[in-house]
Amino acid sequence: MAYSDKVIDHYNHPRNVGSMDKSSTDVGTGLVGAPECGDVMKLQIKVNPETSVIEDAKFKTFGCGSAIASSSLATEWVKGKTIHEALQIKNTEIVKELSLPPVKIHCSVLAEDAIRAAIGDWKKKQDAAKPAEVQAQQNRYWLLASSC
Amino acid sequence: MPGDATSSCWSCGTMRATHFCSACGKVQPAVPVDYFAFFGFPRKLDLDTAALEKEFYALSRRLHPDVFAKAESPERAWSLEQSSMLNDAYRTLKDPIKRTEYLLRLEGVELEEQSKQATEKARVTGELKKQVVPPDLLEEVFELNMHLEEFRMQKKMGEDDPALLEGIGKAKLSLETKYDALFQELKADWDKWDRAVDGGTEEERRQIRDHMVDVLNRRNYIRNLVRDVNEAMEIL
Repeated sequence: MAYSDKVIDHYNHPRNVGSMDKSSTDVGTGLVGAPECGDVMKLQIKVNPETSVIEDAKFKTFGCGSAIASSSLATEWVKGKTIHEALQIKNTEIVKELSLPPVKIHCSVLAEDAIRAAIGDWKKKQDAAKPAEVQAQQNRYWLLASSC
Repeated sequence: MPGDATSSCWSCGTMRATHFCSACGKVQPAVPVDYFAFFGFPRKLDLDTAALEKEFYALSRRLHPDVFAKAESPERAWSLEQSSMLNDAYRTLKDPIKRTEYLLRLEGVELEEQSKQATEKARVTGELKKQVVPPDLLEEVFELNMHLEEFRMQKKMGEDDPALLEGIGKAKLSLETKYDALFQELKADWDKWDRAVDGGTEEERRQIRDHMVDVLNRRNYIRNLVRDVNEAMEIL
């Protein structure tokens, strides 16, 4: 099975390899693994809290060429998008862009999982960083809403 | 019904047994049954491997194609067919992991399909997908991979860092301990499964199946990583 030119390009020149400060409140980290092949993928995003725009993205993947290409492409795609827009990215779009064969579809699934996990981590941090009063208010609101 | 290949002997027409006619003893054509049924076992996992082995040798002797070298041609062909299925069935059932994976396949479990569906569900609901590999194991795997990369780089440069090597060795040991523990966890699942085959609900069986998938996934994950470590170390 031969890799497509795009996979080879991402493999030889991966975009945005690296890491960011995991403890920073603006950074969301997604760490996911595919048991099918033993791959592990870390994808990080830096989000502007005012605009919810992903200003920077980094990744580090240990795995096959397709897994590296999928995550490299994922960082390219999320950059400049809002959180909401980034959540619309589908693994099938990655499959199409990289011409992944059926046996490598799980690599694209992993990349989508990584984006979602990173965004989930960032959201969790935003909730935790909210002042206690705002949270208490929100909780009261939810209690009210759920009691009707 | 005479002439029905699945229930009557092709030669004398009486009810046939799985491999031989119970009346005239002639070899029967192989019917597409699963490996458990081939040996007459229920679909249970805590298998009596001594009984399996005994049955395997007994059948091997009786089905061996050499015995039928001069037999009528259908018997010759079928003994070959049955022998080859016997070997496949034995090899699969004898190995505890292969046996479990085989049973899960029989039960219609498709690992990759499950993962894809979970991702699609997460996309629709906005909820986070539950990762098969638990977070702490992922952290461990990621860190070990980072160290391995460093190690390979150092090797290329001809450098030597005993502390790094020691760290990798320790991490490998920790993974191997986890690997063994997972086998024990799997065995506990076998008991649950075997009980549920007799009296459990479909929902109970589904939960046990899912848990076995989980355990096998984690086990494979660790196995691949330990293999990578060994490969890197052998460059030494």
